Amino acid sequence: MNISIVPALKVLRPAAMLVIVILVGLVLGYWANATFVPGNSPEQPIAFSHKIHAGDNEVPCLYCHTQARRSPSAGVPAVSKCVGCHLEVATEKPQIRLLMSYWENREPIPWIKVHDLPDFVHFTHKRHVLANIECQTCHGPVETMDRITVSSRAVNGSAQVGHPWKMGLCLSCHRENEVVNGIDCLTCHK
Amino acid sequence: MPNIDRREFLKLVGAGGVSVGAGFMLREANKDPREYLIPHVLAPEDFSSGLDTFYNSVCSMCPAGCGISVRTREGRAKKIEGNPAHPVSQGRLCTLGQAGLQALYNPDRLTAPMRRTGEGESASFEEITWEQGLKQVGDRLDLLRAARRGNRVAFLTQGVRGHLAQLFESFMRQLGSPRLLHYDFDHPHTLYAANQQFFGESRLPYYDLANTRLLLSFGADYLNNWISPVHHSLGFGESRQGRADVRGRFVQIEPRMSISGAAADEWIPAKPGTEGILALGLAHHIVAEGNYNGADLGAWTNALADYTPDAVAEQTGVPVNTITRLADSFVDTTPSLAIGGGAAGNHSNGVDTLVAVNALNYLVGNIGQEGGLVLNPEPAGPAVQQHRASYSAMVELAEAARQGEIDILIISGTNPVFTLPPAAEFAEALAQIPLVVSLSSFLDETTALADVILPSHTYLESWGDDFPEPGVGFSVGAVSQPVVSPLYNTRGTGDIILDLARRMGSSSVMPWQNMEEFLKYGWRRIYQRGDSQTLAQGFDAFWTSVLKAGAWGETTNGSTAFTLNPDVIAGIGVAPPEFSGSEEDYPFILHPYLSPNFHDGRGANLPWMQELPDPMTSVVYGSWVEVNPVTAEEMGLSEGDLVDIQSPHGQLRVPVFVYPAIMPNVIAIPIGQGHGEYGRYAKGRGVNPIEILSPLLEPITGNLASSATRVNLTPTGGRVKLVKTGGVSRDLGRDIVQHTSLGVEVSSAADNSIPITEVTT
Repeated sequence: MNISIVPALKVLRPAAMLVIVILVGLVLGYWANATFVPGNSPEQPIAFSHKIHAGDNEVPCLYCHTQARRSPSAGVPAVSKCVGCHLEVATEKPQIRLLMSYWENREPIPWIKVHDLPDFVHFTHKRHVLANIECQTCHGPVETMDRITVSSRAVNGSAQVGHPWKMGLCLSCHRENEVVNGIDCLTCHK
Repeated sequence: MPNIDRREFLKLVGAGGVSVGAGFMLREANKDPREYLIPHVLAPEDFSSGLDTFYNSVCSMCPAGCGISVRTREGRAKKIEGNPAHPVSQGRLCTLGQAGLQALYNPDRLTAPMRRTGEGESASFEEITWEQGLKQVGDRLDLLRAARRGNRVAFLTQGVRGHLAQLFESFMRQLGSPRLLHYDFDHPHTLYAANQQFFGESRLPYYDLANTRLLLSFGADYLNNWISPVHHSLGFGESRQGRADVRGRFVQIEPRMSISGAAADEWIPAKPGTEGILALGLAHHIVAEGNYNGADLGAWTNALADYTPDAVAEQTGVPVNTITRLADSFVDTTPSLAIGGGAAGNHSNGVDTLVAVNALNYLVGNIGQEGGLVLNPEPAGPAVQQHRASYSAMVELAEAARQGEIDILIISGTNPVFTLPPAAEFAEALAQIPLVVSLSSFLDETTALADVILPSHTYLESWGDDFPEPGVGFSVGAVSQPVVSPLYNTRGTGDIILDLARRMGSSSVMPWQNMEEFLKYGWRRIYQRGDSQTLAQGFDAFWTSVLKAGAWGETTNGSTAFTLNPDVIAGIGVAPPEFSGSEEDYPFILHPYLSPNFHDGRGANLPWMQELPDPMTSVVYGSWVEVNPVTAEEMGLSEGDLVDIQSPHGQLRVPVFVYPAIMPNVIAIPIGQGHGEYGRYAKGRGVNPIEILSPLLEPITGNLASSATRVNLTPTGGRVKLVKTGGVSRDLGRDIVQHTSLGVEVSSAADNSIPITEVTT
């Protein structure tokens, strides 16, 4: 008996088309989200601009993130730090008024965390700052950002978007700079 | 391209649209959950996020007064270790001290002031404000004081030292009340009295374990609970291994092998209560052999005439050759040291026993010697009178309460309902007092009977200071500072007392707003005693440096010259111990000992301590009675058999643990479990041997002879499985899990040398 799959295909063709369209759609939707909706650039409670502070006015990073040079975490400045300048500076702007309302209510500003490492990575700012690694190496050109976005100036110099904080970023830099024990597992995973 | 009809096309477009949306959402769901960075409103000065901050303070988990160093992070206490700069603890800390964090974070802490409502069975506590609580107490204090009836106020506290003790004292002086009692179950009253008799000062000397070559310990479990166990452990290690050419030798004399006994080179079981007689037997041999040549030799010969080795061997059950051998090596090895305490001091002849131990030190010239017994100078802290309350003082207080002589009782940090035998009828006496105020941090058995609870901070949240007794040959002090902000709506004990003082109109005499201010006032006087260099830096710098270092010392040594009052020699002699109950009805002597985990029961609410196996038996969670294997065999008992233990004053039911290193006619139960209150971890676990103790006293001090109760043992036929880490029964003898506990190992290794079965009473 002659068995042919053609009749079966004829029956299945609409279903196969459907499957293909769905798969393509899924990938497209996923890609679109990843590319055009930078989830790693959320809207913050106050539209604080690093571009104005660190870029235009050249405030050093460590002026606000004071702990980066002595602690594992860089630290977010206390509300009092912002108020210290803004009692005098740009007091009429709406965002500054918003800031002052937090201050007057003695409420902390609920900043949304953008730069995050998994808990199994032991990273310390202190060592990197003391080794004169520029903040921008990992945090990208923060001084140009109105809203903080995860991006890094990777070692080859090209800006990366998306989620660049993979282990390769750490390792390539550690290799290039010949960090002592820099590629040892236990250096970061301990 | 296949033909697609309109219907097909719309289907595909619809499916495509939905799948694009699904893909979009899939990515969205895969994103990390949103986290927040909540900054401070005002930057704190004393910590940085991500960085450890260490605070030096003082441990209050037992009376030893070790210096501690607490690691805090983001304002939370994370770890407690010993403070390396503190001469007592020198960077070390015991398990109970380490578990202090669980007192701080304990879920059963009292979080706000409370007042009792209702009577009897329906009684419960309702939350009140501090103002309400303080006003209720303060008004009545003020009334009593105004009516010049302040002596109707009693203040009962745990043994405190330093400025808190001074504060309590001046508070009671304002009321004109002499009823200030420092009560701790394990306070060595007999040791103080013995030192008063022998040295003429009611203080503890410094026992220089580190430099000694031979230590005879008469019942003192110095590595576990006796006076300053962390410091003694340091000395023990130094004596054993710290010196290149010398290895210190340790002999332990006690009826039940303690942790110190397990660590000793030789363990000698003497009949309970005869330790002092044994000491005098040694003394007799030393004098008789001509090894003492002092001017008062004649007096000694007379005093010790009755304590010939034969007579002593008869009374103590220790063979003659052991007595003479120990006496000879005690003379030949210099420096040597004899210490006494623990169960040996808790007999009807406790003071005489410890005087005998002092005499032994005197005869071989150990007093004032390095590696011997160094007399401490006056403590550097504020001068306070002695308020140590023995058992009989507590009974007097209870009696006064029953007579209606007490209107207000303030209780701070001590739990007499748990640590007094029922014969004292303390709980019943509390019911007779119109206003019982507890300053405890936990709802312990005593606090549960209080009318008003004004919960105090734990020691990690409050200000205080401590001048450890004994010092380490010189005076040591340390300030206890808050290492974290208070977790709950509690207040420092000192702050509460100062507030009450203000409310009763004593603010002119006690003008300080809080404990910190009072401490600074007190330490300013210590500062003014300093040398010119100290004075030049100013008080603030001095205060900061004391807080930073966590320790302060005055290197003036105690006097080394010591002359013995000749009257003492004539009075030396140890009577045979008395026991409660007849030997026929109660064939066993109960040996209650302080648990290494719970001290006198205060550690039982700490889960770390509950789950820590007892070092000698490896049992966790619960109580047991230790029975000699010979006794167990005679009675047909094995591990886990439930027995009823009956004394003339009560009965307990507890499982048997067969313990080779105990005399056949002695049974031992650890103290610390058996709580009826004190939080979820302590409540309803094990038994409290204090409940069956007879109220037999040492006559000089009124100290409870807690090791002098006779009991009998009745098998009940019931069985429980003891929870312990070693000896899994399911391995059916294959020894799959290799295990050992200290007690069993030591005694089996020494089976040939320890005459366990020879000793009979």
